[in-house]
Amino acid sequence: MVKTENLSFQYQQGQETFNFPDLNLNANENLLILGKSGIGKTTFLHLLAGLLKPSGGKIALNETNINDFSPSKLDAFRGEQIGIVFQKKHAIQALTVIENLKARQYFSKSKIDESFINSLLEELDLLALKNRKPQQLSEGQLQRLGIAMAVIHKPKVIFADEPTSSLDDENCEAVIKLLKSQADNYKANLIVITHDQRIQSFFQNTIEL
Amino acid sequence: MNIWKISLRNIKSKPLYTLLSIITLSLSIALLIGIQQLKSSFKHQMENNLSDIDLVLGAKGSPLQLVLSSVLHLDNPTGNISYSEAMKIGSNPLVEVAAPVSYGDNYKGFRIVGTTKEFNSFYETKLTEGRLVEKSFEVIIGYTVAQQAQLKLGDTFKSSHGLIANDLDFHNDLFTVVGIYEPTQKVIDRLILTNLKSVWDVHNHNHGSHAHEEEHEHENSDEHKHDVEHNHEHEHDEVHDHEHEQGDEHDHEGNEEHKYDDLEGKEITSLLISFRNPIALLTLPRAINKDTNMQAALPKVELDKLYRFTGIGFTTISWIAYIILVISGIIIFISLYKMIKERAFDLALLRSYGASNGQLIRMVSYEGFLIVCISLLIGFIFAKGGLYIMFNVLESNQQLNILQELPVAQLLEIFGLVFLMIIISVALAIYPIIKMNISTILSNEK
Repeated sequence: MVKTENLSFQYQQGQETFNFPDLNLNANENLLILGKSGIGKTTFLHLLAGLLKPSGGKIALNETNINDFSPSKLDAFRGEQIGIVFQKKHAIQALTVIENLKARQYFSKSKIDESFINSLLEELDLLALKNRKPQQLSEGQLQRLGIAMAVIHKPKVIFADEPTSSLDDENCEAVIKLLKSQADNYKANLIVITHDQRIQSFFQNTIEL
Repeated sequence: MNIWKISLRNIKSKPLYTLLSIITLSLSIALLIGIQQLKSSFKHQMENNLSDIDLVLGAKGSPLQLVLSSVLHLDNPTGNISYSEAMKIGSNPLVEVAAPVSYGDNYKGFRIVGTTKEFNSFYETKLTEGRLVEKSFEVIIGYTVAQQAQLKLGDTFKSSHGLIANDLDFHNDLFTVVGIYEPTQKVIDRLILTNLKSVWDVHNHNHGSHAHEEEHEHENSDEHKHDVEHNHEHEHDEVHDHEHEQGDEHDHEGNEEHKYDDLEGKEITSLLISFRNPIALLTLPRAINKDTNMQAALPKVELDKLYRFTGIGFTTISWIAYIILVISGIIIFISLYKMIKERAFDLALLRSYGASNGQLIRMVSYEGFLIVCISLLIGFIFAKGGLYIMFNVLESNQQLNILQELPVAQLLEIFGLVFLMIIISVALAIYPIIKMNISTILSNEK
């Protein structure tokens, strides 16, 4: 469940203020946020994910108001309840695929569950690559690893920032389908922000910034 | 998976930085430990060897040279003094112990010192085997001499003239080892001790005919066998001899006049003196320097002077070691800082995974301290190995066996200093993490 009210953000005092539309997603609902570059898409996502503090307004994730959280509480909340898929970088360079997933579980304070990691890797067709480092993976494999990193701790909300922009049509469709099926698995809200028109057809709820 | 493992993986993924940091840091640690150990060993050795010798009486010349030659047995002696003149000073009531030192010869570079039984009261050494010197051409050898010249009880050897080992100029008199001292880490370890008469006799024989010398040699070795076989039968005689000898040399109250008449023209190198009362330090040296043609050198004063001279060398090398330590600190700082800058995205990702600032700081600190601990270990081994090679592979007879264990306090001081420096460089490197704006880094992904 994701709810926002009158959310606004200002980088510095006196600079342009971004105002964002109110969101109201029930459990299990997905949302696509479309918009051109430079109009604050990523800022919106970072506000929702607790990576930035809003200048005004309210954010409630899973019926918890995250506005008033202390930084350390916000870190812990993010680790446990939120999964983020980034555009290109998806994992720690010094760690292998399986070590990355273990580290993700470690920081979300959940138990390190190797059998669950293996089954997820199997599902994402990465099991054979589990001892490789991220830089040894292809673009498509990396994107799937990014999805694995975002869901390995069974989050309540999954954010994806331009997850398909560097992928071809075939991979693009595969990634979106995977994201949706994973969100369904964990009964999580999926919020995708993109300028990629190709994926509009996969979502019922769409807003444009 | 935990913070430690991630730190380890990070270090492993940057082998070049890690190696560079470890090499420079361990090198500077090795230098610091090595210098400190040499310095403290040197000081300890100097102080140890002074024992209770308050004053050295010798020929006029450099007082430092006199102390070096007669107390540390390192330099050449200054010249000879008259035994009877010296013993007049030695019989002063303020003097507690007076031991003459008479040089002349060496065996394989180890000095043969003609002296009396008083000599050992400065070092308080015990015999591990054998007995004391009872007549001429008997010697007691120090532990190092026994080890390096491979001499054992009952062995005989011919001495070479002078204080430096040589094969050309040697005497035909045979010295017999009758005793071996236990190891002391003091200068007595590398000395060969005999009585004064032996040293005088060796040089008297020089003037005799060759044939006589050879004869004498036979006599000596016969006598030696005889001694070993019939030791007990002659015990009474020997005890008698012994008492007589002692009386000859140390009975100051008795027939003083008579004794010095006997020794007319005999010379020694120096007389080592300890006082009953420190007051003597104020009066006696001045009196000696003024009223006699001998000089009085104070070992503590002279060695303090020497220590100040060599101290400059130690200070310079210490400073170099500290500079290298600072440089290695800077290198560690730069590599950590660069690692953090390059890994900014990784660190931001970790934050998005729920890692707190504290966890990231711990991660980077572990990396720094892991490098430090490895460097400390390697540096310690380097220092020990380096000093071992210096003192064992390059060792010569003249070398003092000075290596002492570095006091734990000093070792901890060095380790503390290294840690302090690493804490500073890690703290500086960590600063950007605290200031990190995760959102900005994550939105600039490329």
